[in-house]
Parts: sequence; structure tokens; C-alpha cells
Amino acid sequence: MRKIYKLTFAVIAVVTSTFTAFSSPVIDKPAPTFSGIDTNGAKISLADFAGKPVILEWTNHECPYVQKHYNSGNMQSLQRELTEAGVTWISIISSAVGMQGHVSAEQANRLTTERGAYANFVLLDENGDIGRLYNAKTTPEMFLIDEQGVLRYMGAIDDKPSAQPKSLKGAHNYVRSAWTAFSTQTEITPTATKPYGCSVKYAH
Amino acid sequence: MAVFSKLRFLLYIISFFGFSTIAQATNLLSYTGSHSNMAVHMETQGFKAGQTHWLSVTFTPKDEWHTYWKNYGDSGATPMLNWSAPDGINFGSPLFPAPEVIPVGPLMNYGYHSISTLLIPLKVAKNFHEAKLNITLQAEWLVCKVECIPQYGEWQFTIDTGNASLDPTVKDTFEEARNRLPEPSYWSSKSTIYNENSRLNLFINPEDLNEITNAYFFPETEGVLKYAAEQEWRWDQDGLSLTFERTVGSIVPEIIEGVLQLDTIDGESLYFELSSKVNDATKAESTTNSSPIINLSMPLWKALLFAIFGGIILNLMPCVFPVLSLKAMALVSANYKSKTDRQLEGWAYTFGIWISFMAIVGALVLLRSGGAAIGWGFQLQSPLFIGLLAVLMVMVALSLFGVYHIQLGIEGAGQNLASQKGLQGSFFKGVLATLVATPCTAPLMAPAIGYALTQPTHIIILVFSALAIGLALPFLLLSYSDKMASLMPRPGAWMEKLKQGLGFPMLLTAVWLVYVYNLQAGSTATAILLGIFIIIGFSLWLWQEFSSKTVHVIAIVLLLSSFYTLYEVSRPDTSSKMGESSNHQTFSENRLQELLSKEEAVFIYFTAEWCITCKVNERVALDTDKVQNAFRDNNITVLKGDWTNRNDEIGNVLASYGRAGVPFYLYFAKGEKKATILPEILTPEIVIDYLTTQ
Repeated sequence: MRKIYKLTFAVIAVVTSTFTAFSSPVIDKPAPTFSGIDTNGAKISLADFAGKPVILEWTNHECPYVQKHYNSGNMQSLQRELTEAGVTWISIISSAVGMQGHVSAEQANRLTTERGAYANFVLLDENGDIGRLYNAKTTPEMFLIDEQGVLRYMGAIDDKPSAQPKSLKGAHNYVRSAWTAFSTQTEITPTATKPYGCSVKYAH
Repeated sequence: MAVFSKLRFLLYIISFFGFSTIAQATNLLSYTGSHSNMAVHMETQGFKAGQTHWLSVTFTPKDEWHTYWKNYGDSGATPMLNWSAPDGINFGSPLFPAPEVIPVGPLMNYGYHSISTLLIPLKVAKNFHEAKLNITLQAEWLVCKVECIPQYGEWQFTIDTGNASLDPTVKDTFEEARNRLPEPSYWSSKSTIYNENSRLNLFINPEDLNEITNAYFFPETEGVLKYAAEQEWRWDQDGLSLTFERTVGSIVPEIIEGVLQLDTIDGESLYFELSSKVNDATKAESTTNSSPIINLSMPLWKALLFAIFGGIILNLMPCVFPVLSLKAMALVSANYKSKTDRQLEGWAYTFGIWISFMAIVGALVLLRSGGAAIGWGFQLQSPLFIGLLAVLMVMVALSLFGVYHIQLGIEGAGQNLASQKGLQGSFFKGVLATLVATPCTAPLMAPAIGYALTQPTHIIILVFSALAIGLALPFLLLSYSDKMASLMPRPGAWMEKLKQGLGFPMLLTAVWLVYVYNLQAGSTATAILLGIFIIIGFSLWLWQEFSSKTVHVIAIVLLLSSFYTLYEVSRPDTSSKMGESSNHQTFSENRLQELLSKEEAVFIYFTAEWCITCKVNERVALDTDKVQNAFRDNNITVLKGDWTNRNDEIGNVLASYGRAGVPFYLYFAKGEKKATILPEILTPEIVIDYLTTQ
């Protein structure tokens, strides 16, 4: 009989494990929920911002593509515009310890001040859990989540996959256009684009 | 920090722009960057009006650094080349060498570990009469190790007119570059995109190529696959089939383009360019434009009720019958067992059924999450499973005949009264009942299963538990009935005879399984299966009759090699055609849409050779003259969807109606885009009724 019990547990374990890790970001579906510690030591989770639209921005200050958007002030102006319109902006750093872009909480806060960033929170995700949850692949990579927690846009920040600042001129900013469409209740197009840039520096 | 990074950024810009060159001849440009070198060559000496010349752009990254293919995969950037030249000069898109995989942590990139040369056609118009051609190239390419350094700049160079003869000094460069280009593929292909996976089928004849050891597809198109996920490839009846994991919700392309890599047994890698039209199967609802009735929204209590009653009715279906005869045997012996023992056995039987349902459903869910379009009864689509089940049936029969005694508890009815054995036997009977029950679908069961398989795990467990309890319920109740036990005759020699007699229904089940096996794996495999029956029987007999160690070793070797042989020969055979009887056409989504657009009446039956309920329905209802005449008189086209072997198209259609198995019958009345679903059990009257009243 004992063997049978063992078998039962094995079967149940197999059945249940199949369905647990099944959340990945899908447009028009609830965005995967996460929680993490921000650079001021506060625990924040996506559920805290129910009722407010949220932007997730994957970043790595040493990545030339991120630098294009920050050194030109392009990212900051988008952050300012959207946060003033009521968006909660969360920058996420998924670089693992020892990898490019990995920072301490103090360094991250210093970067925010120096660069004049308008992010509401900067999350340190050095074990890459949130990054993997969202299949974040590049920096920069952007996600727009609406008040109901539904994912509305994911992908590149704009349509110019270049590291040169001059490429910003005439670039079509997908996040801004998604936000404009969303706030005027018109259809967001495109809802998903291929992100470009440096790879997210997950632990190997 | 900020000052430093700004300074560094400035230095980059200076280093990149500070280099500009004017060159003649064929070496148009060579640039040394911080992390890579870049060179531009021209294949010919000078240009000629009205001709197409080739330029090459060669990137050489530093050791351990890499550059990218046109699709960089998960992260990175495509090399960008912007050419400006006077009117009359046209640059075509660059041809990229076949890419390599570059894994970066959990991500996958496509690119080049070392030198790579892009080829660019330069078209000179007929009326271009200038003596010199001034060209500006703005280029940006990304070089990465783990961290990434973009390299970019702007360069000018001039080409003179000339005799446009091939320049011998760059012959090797161009020859090597051309050798690394993927070849155009001469095979046709088709691709299907599902929500969680996609499939690429290439109509290749395996004999056209050396033996292939690996196949890998580099898509140029987005939305085809997860770059970092493993790719599966196999040969099937149409040729080479590749299956990919896909990101749910990503854009569905209309055409898939990319490069297929085939590694051959002699260590060679072949690359082919592919372009394949996509069949979009992401919206199961839209696979039949006929807005199917989806029963998925039934409340849970209804699904549970359906499952319990479906399970009870399952006891009456033909496939469970032989096993029930075993169970009846145990009941007959109930008279001399204690009440507690009887009840315990009832529960052991229930438990055996439940465990088997959970095992099957667990495997089903696992395989589905791996992307297989399978449904209820999927295990019977595997010839190996059918073969093993047939072997099991024959072994049980031989045991009942008394050739040997496997301690299955079946003989517990006779001399072996130990309650422990009785319990194991009951458990085993439960397992057996479930195994043979899956090919049968009872009324009420199909909607319940269809519903369950779209639900989260705990609901699946609940519904299938209800089904298991339903199947076990009659015997469980009987085990609690004292009256029934007292009705049974006293044990005696007659029991041995009854036991032997019950071996025959088991053999009948084996005959059915051999029939299915023959259709799936072909006659050669069937002959081997029959041989295996005998060898396994013989080895068990050897084990039983002799106590010598040597003989036991021989028996085990015989047994193992039999099972190994069975494993080896049990492969789907595609050369033999499935049994044909009635006038029908083969089902395909396209054929159905075509018929519906012509406003024709269509009857579709989904069936499988292993599905006894289907076969019975066909025999007693669909294939009868009465029904066939009704089809003809009403101008109804009959389509047959054969699910004997795995078939994604059929799996998707079933899913769109909330079903996970066969039998399944659909009727589209003339001019109707909406189908009527027929019951699982058919009589000629039922079918004709549906055909005429709709």
C-alpha cells in the first residue's frame, strides 16, 4: 500500500506542477504580478498600483542604447510627461551581481538624481526574477499596464534600433503613442514590438 | 559618475567620426574601430553603366566578441547600412551569411562569432554616364561580448568607371562570402502557428539528403518562436517537421521567412533559405468560421454530474467489458470473504481507477503544455502503448488459463485468500479498467472532459476524479451490499473453470488491439508483435517452471529483448492506408470552408481506429445503406477526420467545440454556417432525424 501512496503523491505533484508557472506577459491579459524591494528599501508590488496605469522600464545605465535615451534627455521627458499624467513609472534593473549595470541602492538613487530621472520607483532585481517573469530581453524594454492591471503595450521604446543620439530625431516613440491612444481610449497600435538593445544581464 | 560617462560618450563619438577615408580601386574602405574592424570591397575594377556590381561589407569583431544577423534574436541590433549615391544608382538589400546561434545567459542571439561578410548589389542605370561615382555610407553595427559596444560612422568613397572586370585581389573574399550564403530551398513548405507553438513542415524526401543529425530554424520573421527555446524536429509522412515553442499573444506573421540549418552525419552543415505561408491557427474559434457552439462555459456542478454519470455509463461500453468480467469473478467469490475485506477491495478498485485517470490526465496535461495537440485517448495514438496493452492482455489471459501464475491477485478468488493479494488484484483491475476504457466515450463524458481540459489543475483533478468515481461506483456499491454477497454460490472447483473461461474475453480485447496495432504500425510490426506474445509467454513459463538461476537469467533476457524489440518496431507506419469503407472525403479545414462557401450540406465524422464507440457507430449507423442513401438523397458531402494518429488540425477543430476526443459528429445543413452536434451514440434513426429536420 505504501507504494501506492507514493505513486499517488507523484501523480498529484506532476499534475499540479504543470500549471503553476504559467504566467507570461500577454497583451490584453493581466500582467504578471510581482513584488520587489525598491532603492529606498520599500517593498512594492504591482498590486499596490491597482487603479493607476503603470510603466515598467528595464534599464542598465552602462548600456549604450539606454545611454542614448538618458544622455539626450529623451527618457526623462517621457517619464515626466507620463508621471504627470498619473502614470506610476517603475524602472527595473535586472543585472545580476558582477554584471554590467548592476548597482547598489545608493548608486541607483545617485543615478536617478544625476540623470534627473522621473521614475517613481527603481526596483533592484539582481536575481532576475521579475525580468524572467516578463521575459525581459533587452535594455531598454518597455511595458504599459492599465489601471486594471492589464498589459497594453510591450516592446521597444521607439522604432529606431540605433545607439546614435541623432536617431532620436524623427523616431516614433511607441510608448508615447501607446499612452496617447490609451488615454484617449483609441486603439493602441502596435501593441507589441521587437525590443532592441543590450541583452538584460542575467546571471549565467 | 555622470561627468565621466558623458566624457566617455564624447570620446566614442570622436573616435567614430574622426575616421573618414577616400579610396580608389577595389578596397574602398577599411576602418579600425574600438571593438571591430570593417572593410568595404568591390568585386570588379570600376563600374559600367547598365550593370549590377557587388560590394562586400566585412565585419571582424575582436576575439570573443560577436556581431549580428539580420534578425538578432532576443537582444542586439541588426547591422545598418545606409548608402547615398547620385540618381541612377541603386543599392539592394544586403545578403547575410548563414547565422550562428549565440546563447547569452537565458537569452538567444543570432549572429557571427567572428568575421562575417555581407554582400550588397550595386545597380548602375543604363543612362548613368558619370565618370566617377561618389558614395556615402552611414553604417552602425553592434558588437557584443556580454556587454555591447555600438560602432558607427560615416564614410565617403569614389568609384571610377572601368572595364568592370573581376578584381583578382578580392576574388577570395567574394567567393568565401558566397559560400557562406544560405542556398535557396527547392522544397515547398507549409507552416502553422498555434497559440503556444508553431510548426514548419518541409516536403523533403529523406533520401535527397545525407542522414540528418540535427535541424534548426533561424526565423527572420517575428512571432514564430521563442529564440531561446529548444527546437524539436522529426521525420513524418510529409517530410521534415519542426516544432517550436512560441510566445503566446505575439503577432502572427502571414509569411515565415528564415534560414534552415541541417547538420548531416558527415559533420557538414547545410543552410537553406525558406519562405513559407502561414496557416493561422491561433484562434481556435476561427478555425471553423462557422461560429461553433462552445460548451466550455458550463458550470462546474454540471461538469461534475456529467462526469459521474458518464463514468457509470462507461461500464456498459464495449471496451470495458472484458475487464468487468474479471471484476465479476471477484464478486462471485464475495460469498466467502469478510465484509471488511469486500469493502476494502471495492475501495482498492476505486483507487486503482482514480490513480490511472490521474496518471493519464497528468501525462496529457504535460504533453499539451509541451505543445502537442492531443486529446483524450492520446495514448492509443501510440503504437507502442497499443502493443504493450496487447501484450498485457495476452499475459493476463495466459495467467487465467493457468499457464503460469503472476501474482496479480486475479487468482485470489481461488486458493489465495490473503486479503493483501485481493487488494492488489482489485487495484490492478481498476488500472486495467481505466486503460481499456479510454478508447470509449460514453454519452455525457465528452462535454465534461472537453470542459475540464480547458480549466486549471484543481478543476481537472476534480472532474476526472468524478469520472473515476462514476466508473468505479457500481462495484463499489456492490461491495457494500450483503444481499448480493449472500446470493453468490459457494466456492468450489467450478471457480477454476470460470477463471479459465474468463481468459477468452481478454484474448478478444487483444485481437482488437492487434487490429489497431496493425493499422498503426503495419503488418511486419504486427507479425513481430504476435511473435513477442509467444516469447513473453514462454519466458514467463520458463521462470515459473524452473528454479535454476541460469534459466531465470535466460527468461529475463528473453523478456527484456522482447520488450526492446517491441519498442523498436512500434513506429507509426504511413505506407499503409487506413481502412476505407464508405463514400467519404478526407476532412480538412480548407475543404470544409470550400464546401460551406458553396452553401453545401456537410456531415463530418471524427473517428479513430482505436475508438470502439466510433467503430460501432460507423458499423450500425453511418455505414448502413439507410444512412448512406440519406446522405446521397440530400446531397450531403461526408467528410471523415481520422484521428488514429496525431493530427493537429483535427485536434484544433475538436478543441474549438470544447471537445478533447472522438467520436464527434457535426452536421452543417445546406446554407448553414453553424454546425449541429450529434450525440456520441448513433443509430440510423438518430442520424436521419438530424439530417432531415435541420
